[in-house]
Amino acid sequence: MTRTLTAESVAYAYDRERPVFRQAGVTVQSGELVGFAGPNGSGKSTLLRVLCGLLKPNAGRVTLDGRALSSFRGRERARVIAFLPQAVNPAFALNVFEVVCLGRYPHLEGFGAMRPHDKEVVERCLRATETEDLRGREFMTLSGGERQRVLLASILAQEPDLLLLDEPTSALDIHHQIEIFALLERLARKGYGIAVVTHDLNLAARFCDRLVLLAKGRDVVASGPPKEVLTAETLSDAYSAAIRVVAHPETGAPLVWAETPLRAEMDT
Amino acid sequence: MTGRRANSTILLGITIASIAMSILSLMIGAETVSFGQAWREWQSGASPAESPMLGILVQQRLPRTIAALIVGAGLALAGCAFQAMLRNPLAEPYTLGVASAGALGAWTATVLVAGYGMSRAWFGIPAVQLFAFLFAEADILIVYMLAARKDRVSPSVLLLGGVTMGMLANSGILLMRYLADPERLVTMDRWLMGGVDVLGYRPVAMLFFGVTPCLAVLWAQAAKLDQLGFGADLAEGRGVNVKRLQVITFGVSSLMTGIIVSVVGPIGFIGLIVPHAVRSLTGSRHRLLMPVSIIAGGGFLCFCDILARKILPGETPIGIVTTLFGGPFFLYLLMRRRFTDWET
Repeated sequence: MTRTLTAESVAYAYDRERPVFRQAGVTVQSGELVGFAGPNGSGKSTLLRVLCGLLKPNAGRVTLDGRALSSFRGRERARVIAFLPQAVNPAFALNVFEVVCLGRYPHLEGFGAMRPHDKEVVERCLRATETEDLRGREFMTLSGGERQRVLLASILAQEPDLLLLDEPTSALDIHHQIEIFALLERLARKGYGIAVVTHDLNLAARFCDRLVLLAKGRDVVASGPPKEVLTAETLSDAYSAAIRVVAHPETGAPLVWAETPLRAEMDT
Repeated sequence: MTGRRANSTILLGITIASIAMSILSLMIGAETVSFGQAWREWQSGASPAESPMLGILVQQRLPRTIAALIVGAGLALAGCAFQAMLRNPLAEPYTLGVASAGALGAWTATVLVAGYGMSRAWFGIPAVQLFAFLFAEADILIVYMLAARKDRVSPSVLLLGGVTMGMLANSGILLMRYLADPERLVTMDRWLMGGVDVLGYRPVAMLFFGVTPCLAVLWAQAAKLDQLGFGADLAEGRGVNVKRLQVITFGVSSLMTGIIVSVVGPIGFIGLIVPHAVRSLTGSRHRLLMPVSIIAGGGFLCFCDILARKILPGETPIGIVTTLFGGPFFLYLLMRRRFTDWET
């Protein structure tokens, strides 16, 4: 089913004096991989939390297929939108299979007994993330990349249409970052709508269909295909730093780097 | 991975062990009870008061054993609930100062009754018990108000606030000791060591009607507590109302702990040892962990009570026995666990 999750001119403030954003607007649709980028404190993660209903906006509205998100009950919402927070750690020992089973929660009745159908879904999610060989392993003994794949499997087990992920690659090495993004790209091609907060503009440029660029205190400053958003001018403005962009020699995607302040001065 | 068969084996094994402990608890004591003789006395139609064996069984051993089962079950389950809610496997029902606050209440009542002529009982409940309960609940309420935020309860503020409240209560106890009639110190010190040696069925009924509904409510939160294991955000994203879950879990386990402390005094470490031992058998899913902890907790406290009254010299207070088990066990857990297990 095609889904559209929209935030219209939403405002949010943890601290009344300093709102994170005042008029932010963003849309995530089935089948697309959208990257949320921007400097620290620009509100990427906050916007993601507003989109998945964890934070209630102070102004503006969030709708899912035209219906107010706040009118959904928690588990009803979780069957459509899955949210993976940053840096997730279990308090108790659980194996991979049990971790993925936790994702079935929005579908279970009463005491939460797993039916055969639920186990089938879990198996499918293990396969989709190539974690089926890990099923008996204790979660805490896995490597960072394996953990993220297992967590992805566990939110896929919610059978959602939309995935909202907060920096799923921030603790991973370059190879595992690409592995996760490639997996997200495959999921988007299968029809999932995915929003991912990331600091890695080059990965975003390579894999995302669309980028949403936020700047501190200025809401969304640019939105569109990576090639349109990732220009030296836009980025330098958003990050208040000297940012360079060239075309990737092989893929043609924008290749971004920041000048060190010292270097930038020497150039001028 | 534990399959369905393994689960029922664990449940059956723990149940049999706990039943065995209860039967031993009925038999063993200063006088060994012979069920055969008690049965013959019952058949003869004599009242328990005039038949020695039946009298011991019905008036002493049975209420004591039932009290141990309920208290053990309640403390073990409160331990599970606190550990899940605080996301800290080293938490237990007394972590938040409930036991110390309850003790302060008991001391306050003693001093007021003895020195200031306060009524010895209110609505048929002994003043010591009533005050212990009220102080325990007041402690919990204060700690909760410290830690409650708009949409969450902060586990770290709960912990630190609870520990501080416990220390305050302890200095309050010292003050009461200073004010108290020295002759009363011995009986009140005995209260601090806990004991399931209840007399008659009134305390048993109080425990039963206070604790069992709490057990049911907590068990009903099992699936939600599982979700909390991966953090409040992930749980909220899956549709758990985290604040409501925290309030229910916290409120009900504290209420239950307060009732238990007021009737039998502080009996430490049951809420730590039992869930840990059970978790190593059942895994961390609360749907199984919780009922098995209830059964194992009751059995384990019966076992400790048998040790207290027969194996160890004299009638050792049960609170000392459980702490002798629990203290070293806690240190062992501290030594063994990885740091990352309870950070975040």
